[in-house]
Amino acid sequence: MSKTALVVDDSPTMRQMVAFTLTNAGFTVVEAEHGKDAVAKVAGGPPMDIVVTDLNMPEMDGISLIKELRKMAAFKFTPILMLTTESAADKKQAGKEAGATGWIVKPFNPDLILKIIAKVLPT
Amino acid sequence: MSNDFSQFQDAFFEEAAEHLAVVEEGLLALEQHPEDLDLLNKIFRSAHSIKGTSGMFGFNAVAQFTHKMETLLDLLRNGQKAVTPVIADLLLRSTDCLKTLIDAAKTGSSVDDVTVQRLTEELAASQNASGSQSMPQGNGPSKIKPASAGPELYSYAIAWAPPDWLFQRGLDPQQIFKELADIGTLSQVTVDATKLPELATMDPEKCYLSWRMKFETAKDRQVVDAVFEFVREDSVLTITEEVQGKELEVRGEESPSFVTPDGTESKPKPLGELLVESGVVSRETLNKALSQQKRVGEILVEQHAATPQQISQALQKQQDNAAHAKKGTETASIRVDTDKIDKLINLVGELVITQSMLSDLGSRFEINQLPVLLERMAQLEGNTREIQERVMSIRMLPIGTAFSRFPRLIRDLSANAGKKIQLVLSGEETELDKTVIESIGDPLTHLVRNSADHGLEPPDERLDNNKPELGTIRLNAFHEGGNICITVEDDGRGLNRDKILAKAVKQGLIAENEKLSDDQIWPLIFKPGFSTAEKVTDVSGRGVGMDVVKRNIEGLGGTVKIKTALGKGTVFTLKLPLTLAITEGMTVRVGTETYIVPLLSILESIQPKAGAMKTVVGKGELINVRETYLPMIRMYEVFALQPEYTDPTKAILLILETEGERVAVMVDEILGQQQVVIKSMEKNFRKVDGIAGATILGDGTVGFILDIRGLLEIARRGVAA
Repeated sequence: MSKTALVVDDSPTMRQMVAFTLTNAGFTVVEAEHGKDAVAKVAGGPPMDIVVTDLNMPEMDGISLIKELRKMAAFKFTPILMLTTESAADKKQAGKEAGATGWIVKPFNPDLILKIIAKVLPT
Repeated sequence: MSNDFSQFQDAFFEEAAEHLAVVEEGLLALEQHPEDLDLLNKIFRSAHSIKGTSGMFGFNAVAQFTHKMETLLDLLRNGQKAVTPVIADLLLRSTDCLKTLIDAAKTGSSVDDVTVQRLTEELAASQNASGSQSMPQGNGPSKIKPASAGPELYSYAIAWAPPDWLFQRGLDPQQIFKELADIGTLSQVTVDATKLPELATMDPEKCYLSWRMKFETAKDRQVVDAVFEFVREDSVLTITEEVQGKELEVRGEESPSFVTPDGTESKPKPLGELLVESGVVSRETLNKALSQQKRVGEILVEQHAATPQQISQALQKQQDNAAHAKKGTETASIRVDTDKIDKLINLVGELVITQSMLSDLGSRFEINQLPVLLERMAQLEGNTREIQERVMSIRMLPIGTAFSRFPRLIRDLSANAGKKIQLVLSGEETELDKTVIESIGDPLTHLVRNSADHGLEPPDERLDNNKPELGTIRLNAFHEGGNICITVEDDGRGLNRDKILAKAVKQGLIAENEKLSDDQIWPLIFKPGFSTAEKVTDVSGRGVGMDVVKRNIEGLGGTVKIKTALGKGTVFTLKLPLTLAITEGMTVRVGTETYIVPLLSILESIQPKAGAMKTVVGKGELINVRETYLPMIRMYEVFALQPEYTDPTKAILLILETEGERVAVMVDEILGQQQVVIKSMEKNFRKVDGIAGATILGDGTVGFILDIRGLLEIARRGVAA
């Protein structure tokens, strides 16, 4: 069975790029526009193998989403990567405190995404 | 499938345009409500998205400029700086600049570097020294230095005590070991379990273990560091390099982190910037000087090296080229709700079912099954019609996208003209064809400008006339039958009958003693070269006149109507077809040929009495329709056909109107009215004078759609010849 990924970004271009990369790598991808959308899409459903989320989003931002996901049994230990342009420490810190596994710094290319995902994906 | 992102570029440009609109609208609203934090966040998010995504495609100029805007926006939303009119204005001008930068990335058009530079400086200055922060450049975090030459083996002693909440972040020590094993050899791993509590008190979600490892690898130190990237800052981690048994370097968590690439450009700074930095001139002086900088054209004219006409021709050419380049690269993509597509797929499913039922019926058809056949055919017709409607709706967009530019326009216009103007938009959700939306932008802009400039009076004049100081321009869109109506309404001075008449006489458009009704006078303002403004202003009247508006609208198969009341205001009503692909047409017959006349251009059809016709030298045949002589065109002559009637009193005359001109076209018979799908002549054959396009008629034959304008010209040539 193929691995599943949740990709959350309000920018359709960005979301599609990540989704495209993951789909090509054999993932089944669920896309969501923002935190609320993501929660609605995964709540009560099966767990996902990985979550990739943007931080700046309307409705519910990435940090709140990570906190929400960590409250769900199915996502308690799921690797969650955040997409960030900030090399700033505060964003990373906030993400880590919320429970983010790691981060992908924009701009990135497909290889980098896959490399970082390989790093955190449970074996 | 190629694994890079270039195929997403078009999507990016589309998205960027939407974000720009959000930023612009947001900034305009922000001027009214400077305290609105939600608004600021929205603007910030859009700018942030543009920055992030543009960087992905290597549009560094866009990314860097947006970064500067974003930094300022961030200060605003954090409350570190207040939104002042000056800052709002700066951000609006920056948005314009960003637009040109994105356009440049899209089409390769040139960018006014001076403006970019000046705005970059202004943005930096407005941030009070916080603008020095540079953004990371290049493809991904280039944290990994090129590996040193030679497959030298490094040996490390690693001691790692992860934080106890490691698992709660979805991290797994196994991952780390696996990754290390991938890049080298883990020769020795010892686990330290001394912190492991009694089973009864143990929290299974916590990590109590720490490890010591011996590790050999050919990879560089940075690669090893990168393995621990997500845990390093929270772990107690020492990585010690052992060379020939000696410990060379001790590195803990507090050691300096990676060399971040410096984002500052190595390009030399502009002269002005250096002068400001060294204190020779102040920034204001520099900005002033820059704004006085002359354009090449002006200098050349001053030196008599070129005439103003030559310069303006060259400028026109440059603009045309730019416009052309823009058109050439504009891909026609459209975003569609998945909902719409799902419904369409459903319908196609039904179509397939109907089709298979029909072919089943056809393979063993007996005449007594005729009612079943008819029923199936009706079903097929239903399916087809619904699919047609759905497919058309895919091209439909809300007109709000065309309206969105006006709040900004009105803001700038009121500032320039010293008038107080409020813009009221309604009907933004009205949907129409994407092509039509794209084509009405310019004519609408001109009408709005016209209303702001000529329609609305200056504040004091309004007060004198007992009107509120604040002038109102209303834009409204609504559906009416198979058309969309767009109204541009102002509560200004209204059209002045006498002024227009005087001007028209002066320009030789009408005779001095000609008696005209109001409905005949108002359209005069659509005549080429007609403008009643006493002087040419910055706002309107820059050569493009109302005639262009009318021509553009008619080019889309639409009409413009004027309603006005002196002292009360003017309403321009544009009536446009919902789509350009399908038109409502009247089918007519000439001899054995069938033609389609666009319904919008037909005023009436008549059968003339004998004696109504007249032949005038140099003007050809004329026909008297209620005391007005109209040129008459015999269709069979234009297209060299064998007609049923050559006598106009037996045939039918269609009175058609195009661009304000009326003409009578003689045909044998009117067959009926129907919707026709327009097929391009140019694409499938070549351009034919007098023919706007072709369509497939119900009986499978091809019918030509008449181009009234072209027909009129052919007739004129015929007379001249």
